[in-house]
Parts: sequence; C-alpha cells; structure tokens
Amino acid sequence: MLLEACSLCYSVLYSSILAVLAGMVRLITHNLLACHAKGCTSNNFPLQFQDAAIELRDAEFNADFLRGFLPRIEWPALVGAARQLGDASLPAEQPEMLDDEFLQKLHHVLLEIHVEEGAMVCPNCKHVYPISNGIPNMLLAEHEIG
Amino acid sequence: MPEVKPTTVASENPQTYEDVHVHAVYDEIAPHFSSTRYKPWPIIAAFLSSLPTGSVGVDLGTGNGKYLPLPSDRPGAVWTIGLDRSINLLKLAKRAGDVDREVVWGDVLDNPWRRGAFDYAISIATIHHLATPERRKVAVQRVLEAICPSHGRALIYVWAIEQDELSKRNIPTDADEDRRHTASTDQAKGQDVFVPWVLAQPAEAKPKTRRREKSGQARTPEPAEAGAEAQQAPPKVFNRYYHMFAKGELCELVADAAKELGLTLGDTSSGDVRETGQSSKEHGVQIVQDGWERSNYYVELRRWER
Ligand SMILES: C[S@@+](CC[C@H](N)C(=O)[O-])C[C@H]1O[C@@H](n2cnc3c(N)ncnc32)[C@H](O)[C@@H]1O
Ligand SMILES: [Zn+2]
Repeated sequence: MLLEACSLCYSVLYSSILAVLAGMVRLITHNLLACHAKGCTSNNFPLQFQDAAIELRDAEFNADFLRGFLPRIEWPALVGAARQLGDASLPAEQPEMLDDEFLQKLHHVLLEIHVEEGAMVCPNCKHVYPISNGIPNMLLAEHEIG
Repeated sequence: MPEVKPTTVASENPQTYEDVHVHAVYDEIAPHFSSTRYKPWPIIAAFLSSLPTGSVGVDLGTGNGKYLPLPSDRPGAVWTIGLDRSINLLKLAKRAGDVDREVVWGDVLDNPWRRGAFDYAISIATIHHLATPERRKVAVQRVLEAICPSHGRALIYVWAIEQDELSKRNIPTDADEDRRHTASTDQAKGQDVFVPWVLAQPAEAKPKTRRREKSGQARTPEPAEAGAEAQQAPPKVFNRYYHMFAKGELCELVADAAKELGLTLGDTSSGDVRETGQSSKEHGVQIVQDGWERSNYYVELRRWER
C-alpha cells in the first residue's frame, strides 16, 4: 500500500537515474540548428563542433523515415559535420540511388553519433553554444537576443 | 484544494517576471510535475499521427517530452525535437518513452533554427506562460518561422478561461466578469493568474492516498492539488504564472502574428491573387481548425505559398 502510494518519491528517484543516462546532440539536430545571436543572420549555419566528446549508440533503423527526411537535410553541412566527428562514410553528393547500404550509413551518421560534451561555434560571429550532458545550450544572454 | 488566484503582471521586465514565476518553478518541481504528465491529449495525438513518414518537427516547450514518442502507432516514423527552458525537465525529456530523444535548451521566444527547417511544430501548454501580449505574439511567430513556408503545419494549445466541468479548479469569478466586460469590445482579453503547485517536502512526505490521475480518467491538465495530502513538513507552494486565454483570443493572436510577418491569413484561395508574372511568391497561413478541448484552446495551422 505504502509502496504503491509513494509515486512522488518514486518519480524523484527515477529522475535522478535518468539524469545519469541523459543522452546527446546528434547530427540530425545539428543539421537544423543555426546561430541566432543578435545581428547574426548570414553564414550562421552550420555550427562548428569544438572539443566534441562523442559516443556511439545503436538506434532503431527506419528506412522509410530516412527516405522521407532526406529532402530536408542540408547535405554538405551533414557531410562536413560527420567528417569533423571522424566519420567520412557519406559521399560529398547525395546519391540518386537510395540503396540499403547508403541508408545504413546515413542512419548511423544522423542518429547514432552522440556528442555528449563540447560546444558548437558559429562560423560567422563565433558565438559558442556549449553542450553539457548532451544538451546543447541555445539560450542567449538578454543583450545577445536579436 | 488550492485555488487559482487572479494576478497582474506588475513588473517592468517580463523576462525577470517569468524567470521567477515560471522558469524557477518548473526547474524546482520537474520530477513531480513530470510524474503527472504522461497522457497525450487526443487532438495532439491525432495531429502527430497524420504526419507523413520522414517528417521532422519541433516541440516548443516540450516539458518532460510527453509528445516526443508519438505517433504510437508508427514509432520512429517522424522525429520531434524538444525545446524547453527548464533544464531539469529536459533531462527527463531526453529519455521520454525510454528511448534517446533530441532536446535543446532554449527559449520559445528565440529562433535557434534554420528558417523553415521543420515540417511541423507543436507548442502545447507553453505560450500561456509568457507575461505580455507582445511576447505571446512573438512566440506564435517563432512557431510560424520554424516550419516550412510551403507546407509546414503547426498545433498550438493554451489554457482557457473556460474550464472543463470535470475540473476541480476554482476559477475566480472576476475572470468571468472580466470576460463579459470585454465581450463587447473587439479584443478578446484573457486573465492573468497564479496557479499554485503544492510540492510536499520529499524527506517527510507521506502521501496517504493513491493519486487520482493514475486511474486514467480524463482530467484537467495541471494537477495543482497533487501532494496536498502530504503530512508533517509543510508543503512548499510554488505559484506559477499563467495567462488564461479568452474565447477567440488565440486566433486573434495568430492573425496578428501572421500579419506582422507579411503572411496572408486564410486558405490558398483567399485574398487577391496577385498578377501572374510577379516574381516573388505570396506566403500565407491557414487556420485548419480551432476549438476548445479539456480546458484549453487549440489552433492548427498550415503554411502555404503561391
Ligand atoms: C505546462 S508545461 C507543458 C509541457 C508539455 N508541452 C506538455 O504538454 O506536457 C509548460 C512548459 O513550458 C516551458 N516554458 C515556459 N516558458 C518557456 C519559454 N519562454 N521558453 C521555453 N520553454 C518555456 C516550461 O519550462 C514547461 O516545460
Ligand atoms: Zn552567429
């Protein structure tokens, strides 16, 4: 009875376990982020990784998702970011043929490389967005907001 | 049971006000709050189920990431990235549904994305935490800017003055008077309130009864009464700021936001069709549906160009 009732204590415990497991920035997100510091409106993408600590973790492969998402990707930015993180498996040009081998590589680059610590730096204004516990901090100080 | 108290935003700096009455509160109550948020609302679930496979979207004000695992009938078919200002809630969102999620620490008033990068955006129960009409409008503009100008879709939910009958919440009557009073004017006006969150002190807390919402019954979105049974140590009360929307106010806000961005409001056939040969495209946003569900107003939007 008491155990069942104590959902509050349970959730506190649960959350501290999760905090340890908390994951990372992946290239799918990196491909969508851009610098938004005051006045920084051009050449503000893609952000450059700095001191990136990476971890590889398996993710569920979904070929249909990848095929649908492909047109939304900024391809050169993805290829460049992957190379920065030590993965040169993607071709410089998006291939016409989306065979399984290519989709597996794309899957790995987009969803299985996690940047846990480090930062992302704007190529234009050099603003630094820290990554801590795998969560990128995109908040700006009040005077930096555009 | 704690009551909803009317308040007025008496601060020169709305950011400071929200820091104290919204952000600090969520960071403090995160685990407890999260334990009450697990049931997706039907219209939001339906919206996420209707997205084509391969869609990528953003959840602005994701909280504990309740919506990141959806659609449940096609897990992994779409990818929703969560953004929130509460780092403690994000740490939970990160593993929503026990799968690695992508989350970003950010503010719904900012725009840390490539313009139009997303196929869809949702902002659920978040924009009502912004303390001025101007800030709420900017938040709607951020939603519109995040999604693709040719096909992007969005769903926004905010808290309503009109509360569910099932709600145990006590809405101050002056809110009703306020509403009646403004019904004659053309601007729908909501009500600023504090909603207390009662947090039992973990060490001494001894909740006696099983929490009601575990029964899976439909309930109101923000169970402020949870933990009120806790004995011994006096529970800590956090007052969260909300702007409760009046009928029509959300759609007006969308109209204002769209207008300022130079977007035509309506479907692709509305307004004057420009002469052919004009090089620049016309951009618009359509209200696909709007309504009231479980004490909230919602609006679904679709962007278009011609
Ligand atoms: C009532 S919760 C809703 C969470 C989630 N959307 C859901 O429906 O379960 C409101 C959320 O908005 C977030 N929030 C409030 N103001 C914000 C802001 N200016 N920027 C980003 N997030 C904000 C809070 O941290 C909190 O997670
Ligand atoms: Zn920049």
